[in-house]
Amino acid sequence: MNNRLRTRGLQEAASLIVMLLLIIFVMSQLTDVFFTARNLRNMMLEVSTVGIIAVFTTMLMISGGLDLSVAANLALAGVIIGRFQADWGILQAALAAVGVSTLIGALNGFLVTYVGINPLITTIGMLSAARGIALVVADGLTLPVFDLTGEATDAYTLFHQLGEGEIAGVPLPIVIMVVLLIIGMLVMQFTTYGRALYAIGGNADASRLAGLSVRRYRMIAYTLTGFSAGIAAVLLTARLYAADPKAAPSIELTVITAVVLGGVSLAGGKGTLFGTVLGVLILTTLLNGLRLQSTSTELQNIAQGLVLLLAVGLDQIRTRNINWLKWLRTTRALPAGQPASNGGN
Amino acid sequence: MTALLQMQNISKSFYGVKVLDDVSISLSAGEVLALLGENGAGKSTLIKILNGDYQKDGGSVLIDGQPTEITHPRDAEKLGIRMIYQELHYAPELSVAENLVLGHLPRKSGALKWMVDWPKMREMARDVLTLLNVDIDPAAKMGSLTVVEREIVEIVKAVSRQARIVVMDEPTAALTPPEVRQLFGIIENLRSRGVGIIYISHRLDEIKQIAQRVTVLRDGKHVNTLPISEASDENIVQMMVGRKIEDRLHVRALAKQTSFGETALSIRGLSKADAFEDITLDVRRGEIVGLFGLLGAGHVALTRSLFGVERPDSGQILVDGAPVKIISPQHAKRAGIGFVPLDRKVNGLVLGMSVRKNITLSNWDKLAPLGVFSQGKELANTRAWVERLGIRMAGGVEVETRFLSGGNQQKVVLARWLEAGVKVLLLNEPTWGVDVGARSDIYDQLEALAAEGLAILMVSSDIEEVLNVSHRILTIYKGRITGEYSQAEANQEILLQSAAGGAQ
Repeated sequence: MNNRLRTRGLQEAASLIVMLLLIIFVMSQLTDVFFTARNLRNMMLEVSTVGIIAVFTTMLMISGGLDLSVAANLALAGVIIGRFQADWGILQAALAAVGVSTLIGALNGFLVTYVGINPLITTIGMLSAARGIALVVADGLTLPVFDLTGEATDAYTLFHQLGEGEIAGVPLPIVIMVVLLIIGMLVMQFTTYGRALYAIGGNADASRLAGLSVRRYRMIAYTLTGFSAGIAAVLLTARLYAADPKAAPSIELTVITAVVLGGVSLAGGKGTLFGTVLGVLILTTLLNGLRLQSTSTELQNIAQGLVLLLAVGLDQIRTRNINWLKWLRTTRALPAGQPASNGGN
Repeated sequence: MTALLQMQNISKSFYGVKVLDDVSISLSAGEVLALLGENGAGKSTLIKILNGDYQKDGGSVLIDGQPTEITHPRDAEKLGIRMIYQELHYAPELSVAENLVLGHLPRKSGALKWMVDWPKMREMARDVLTLLNVDIDPAAKMGSLTVVEREIVEIVKAVSRQARIVVMDEPTAALTPPEVRQLFGIIENLRSRGVGIIYISHRLDEIKQIAQRVTVLRDGKHVNTLPISEASDENIVQMMVGRKIEDRLHVRALAKQTSFGETALSIRGLSKADAFEDITLDVRRGEIVGLFGLLGAGHVALTRSLFGVERPDSGQILVDGAPVKIISPQHAKRAGIGFVPLDRKVNGLVLGMSVRKNITLSNWDKLAPLGVFSQGKELANTRAWVERLGIRMAGGVEVETRFLSGGNQQKVVLARWLEAGVKVLLLNEPTWGVDVGARSDIYDQLEALAAEGLAILMVSSDIEEVLNVSHRILTIYKGRITGEYSQAEANQEILLQSAAGGAQ
């Protein structure tokens, strides 16, 4: 049975990989710029923003949480850098921005776990508030983020390196994303924190009665999600030399779509970071391809919305029809009379 | 006369493991057939095949002698097959009458046919209730009824629509003796009207009262079918477990322990409004204290308060003589208290997680002191408990706990607290919905654990269990301790009287 369950996981991963290859194939046929180094590089940079947030959102959603405020949080962190770079110094402003993002995550966590507000409502409220504050901080303008004195100090050089630097030809944001991803995978696989997230998402009541500090783990998951929005904001701002209070419109939907597509259940308790990687790649490839076709933003939004509904629908079907799949497999694949494959008990 | 239902040579495998192997049963109209077997014997699979939830791999189902294919619960419904599960499904805020006709609400005629015909509905409800001789007010809110009344409404609902075969799965699990008698009245009534009943229960005394024949399954095979007059408790149990369990039915040969260790758990004047009042009791090392009460007597709330799930209003809890502050399950765990909850599926297990992860869920401090699991140690500890408690599962310790039978699930919850190394164990109805064999295993283990120095407070409304497993028995009625009896003093009569608030 163990092998069979593992097989099912592999089958899900395999179907996602097939989906990804299919989309890549279609996109490469539709346009000849898809497979250019430039486009692939841009795409990977895009992936890095969504990917960093998706790593932590995956962990949050496995614990049964949800955060829709990440995009607004990211925008707010960006304009904090833009607004206060001159007063505090660029690196200090960047640190402050990450701090604010982390605090917003913690506030989400507090409202959900201690006050007991539904996560959807909490983070929609936070989304609206953070976006509003971002607009106020930036006076509604896109703020330039570079050394306005034109001297290009060490601090600024260092800051922009975060967005533009490379390690062995790979842009730094991508390296950072991959590092965070690998750490995340190790955490989920081997640590008590990862185990706790799965347990709490699987059955929060039972986890509490087993003596786990459910609230603390949830707090941490929300806080880290906020932190990841801050990190993504710093990397994005460093790369773009600008901070837009309207930045990253509806990235939260892209993130959640990718995570759910990758197999994380909205109910929590299930899913892997590997699945999320595939989900992110599928979604960004799709959106990138549409953009190369000069498809309008509206159409891209429609496509993303449909993929989200599809992913959630699949999640529902997966959860509900699990027994159906089981008997289908057992009745077809294992005819009566076949000896038991293992000793049973 | 052809039998109402015949299931012939049914086979079924899951994951290559045979759960039903050439099983045949038959049921006549107006008969109660008791279906017995340990958990995992194949009873529920057989029933689910009858109801179209599962598809059989081989064999045939005949109704009135006609071969019938049941591929979906809808087919079963059309054939007049009705399932009454342990968990009831009803709308608590609606009236009894509404619940009875739910899904088949009568409409007004003519232009007003989009409106519900309330008088007609009440009449229909009253009719079926009278037909079955049930004295329940159709206007009462479902949520205000007692458990047995709800169950009876559920049965009435199931049979009100041309039922021919009714399957009852442990219908008396939550009922008191008078309620059981009430339920049996309904069953007799159904029988007299030609309905065939398959009755699944672990309680042999009930089966003797109500069933005409008994079929025993073991390990997915049909062991025997006997008229009830030829079945003795002893040979039924032997057929079920395939070995003799002598001390199961009568007072077990619980070691006559006279000396126990130091007091491990002390409760001093613990009170909680509307739950329990001024509870004072001690549990010593090596002692199993049974706390017997009827449903709602306050014993469940008491253990929840001891474990920090609920907060008592006043009073003191001491572990090993030192006062402890318990405001959450974490505090309780740290104080060395473990808790086996009432409903293991809802509150006990993370069903989507493996046996291994569930067993080690409360022992992270030792298995992962720096936050990273020592995988070898975790696996070794898990295996040790699986072996010691005899946890049985197809496919090993990485199998998700939702695939385990009730008894084995309960053992996993038990193993978790033993793995955590607790000094005091609070048990809530430890063998509710657990089959005879696993039940006996659990009793043996509890006794062995006590002998090793564990202090056990066992809350139960199963009088046989309390009598057989406890060194000392307390009774609770309306939130107050009403009696304390040694193993030698206690008997059914005394306990029932004391737990019902009667004078001693």
